[in-house]
Amino acid sequence: MRKILALIGITLLVSGCAPTPYWTLTDDLNHVAKSTSFQMNVPQGWVRTTEPVTWERVDIDGETRTLLLESMGVTKDGVGIHAISVTRRYPDTAFPTIKKKSTAGMLPPEAADLYVSELRKRSGLERLKVLSNKPAKVADKQGFELLMQYKNDDGLRIQILTLGFVDNTGFYTISYRAPYLYFYDRDYSSFRSLVGSFRQLPAANDPPPQIPAWAKIFT
Amino acid sequence: MRSVLFVALMLSLGGCATTEGVTSFKAAGDTENLHEKERRLWHEAAGYDNTIERSGQLYEHARATTYLQGVMDGLYPEFKGKIPVRIYDSTQMNAFALPNGSVYINIGMLARIENEAQLAAVLGHEAVHFIEKHSFQERVSTKNAASFAVSGIPFSSLAAMSSISGFSRELEREADATGYERLVKAGYDPRGVHLVFQHLADEVKALDIKEPYFFSSHPRMIERIEEFKRLSAQYKGGGRTGSEQYNSIMSEIRLDALRKDIGQDRYKTVILVMEDRNLKGYFPAASYFYLGEAYSRREEAGDEKKALEAYKKAEQMSPGFAPTYLRLGVHYMKKGDKGNARTYFNRYLSRAPKDASDRGYAQQYLNSL
Repeated sequence: MRKILALIGITLLVSGCAPTPYWTLTDDLNHVAKSTSFQMNVPQGWVRTTEPVTWERVDIDGETRTLLLESMGVTKDGVGIHAISVTRRYPDTAFPTIKKKSTAGMLPPEAADLYVSELRKRSGLERLKVLSNKPAKVADKQGFELLMQYKNDDGLRIQILTLGFVDNTGFYTISYRAPYLYFYDRDYSSFRSLVGSFRQLPAANDPPPQIPAWAKIFT
Repeated sequence: MRSVLFVALMLSLGGCATTEGVTSFKAAGDTENLHEKERRLWHEAAGYDNTIERSGQLYEHARATTYLQGVMDGLYPEFKGKIPVRIYDSTQMNAFALPNGSVYINIGMLARIENEAQLAAVLGHEAVHFIEKHSFQERVSTKNAASFAVSGIPFSSLAAMSSISGFSRELEREADATGYERLVKAGYDPRGVHLVFQHLADEVKALDIKEPYFFSSHPRMIERIEEFKRLSAQYKGGGRTGSEQYNSIMSEIRLDALRKDIGQDRYKTVILVMEDRNLKGYFPAASYFYLGEAYSRREEAGDEKKALEAYKKAEQMSPGFAPTYLRLGVHYMKKGDKGNARTYFNRYLSRAPKDASDRGYAQQYLNSL
């Protein structure tokens, strides 16, 4: 009996330790990336995060805080080269480092301005340039479309295209980052397809979950 | 035994940092004969120059750059061509010199300086760090590491840190004193130059800036302000401040610095500058638009009213500045005043450049009214 219990224990332990792969290569069967409050289709042959990220650590005025969010990443050649990230932030922590909340009544350009400030502050991209900021529709919601650019330390121009909107469930962004040279144009249409397939899910209206207790260890 | 090894290590490191026998540059030609360690320092500094340039950290403004170089050459004619002055694209109030003579001054500093005499005080000070080889003299301590986060320079090397965060009190005093002598010798009136440090002191206090950079370490800065006041009290007069030319050239940079401050959510800085009785007069009229933006971002009681007053002031004083009309249009649209909202959106569309990115929003709102 003790041997059987030990065997069960070891099996459980081993299966518990087996990590879910962080990235999943997409094909016909698994091209839908789904989080609690949204889903979208990932281009075939790209990789996506297997599970959504549900919390993050953010440095706010020198103090590290753990915040809830939903985020999924998609890439073709690796995140060091280019990536699409789809993120939903909760209203109270929509723009955490600049300490601003999102509200359902916020106009798209107001959300876009705060998003740019947040990006500049959080990423240290003081010289991030906004090339254009125009109205856009995302999943039938009025939003914004921001085209931004910066140069990295090696002088490589990196372009970021972000579409976003605000509603009573939070602040949503679909962001495509790639070197302006070659990569940006190459995968632009794939990004547009992904944006076109983006859908909010009914669970977006559910109350926010609790931050996992173990995640709080980091704060 | 470990402590013995530690002491030996510290002594050997200390030996590397000796500054005995370091002689200052006397003229441009001296820079051709460098000690081997100095050459390495120069090489590293040249690498920083390259990084700054290729990563888009230089602020491109040919007229202002030429003007700044002229002021530096006037202060140190014997080093003409050896102390290049460049504008660094950062809104923080800072300036720094690299060991190879490259001097950078932030747009945030240029925006707060009131005249050429104050500019000369800053440039004169920075040049002394190069001429007296302060980087070479002072081995950098790790406490300076935080300064890089402030300056926005992604450098990890220790060599240039002191150039940006400030040197020891003695070396800074030397830079102040020698810089002051040059300032007077070049014919500037030094009586108001302490104000540039006063603005920095006010900003550090008001914004609760904790990171040390430039002259911002508080006791040192107060000491500096007093020292400049003491020196200039002995001045007999007759010098120039060069206010008119400075302010004519810097008008565009001042406005851009405010725009960038707002873009980084540094609304407190904008309010501080635009509510300063001395400073606000130097900023172009359109700056009131950014004061409106700052109050809109702050969201304290009464700020909505203050923002509207600032936008109205911008409209009145700078009628050609299109962004004001878009903000006023949005304000009236939110209040349900469709008539005024239409008027301001139309005004925006008639004044904004055809390729202005915000045109789409103005047109969309206008169609919805």
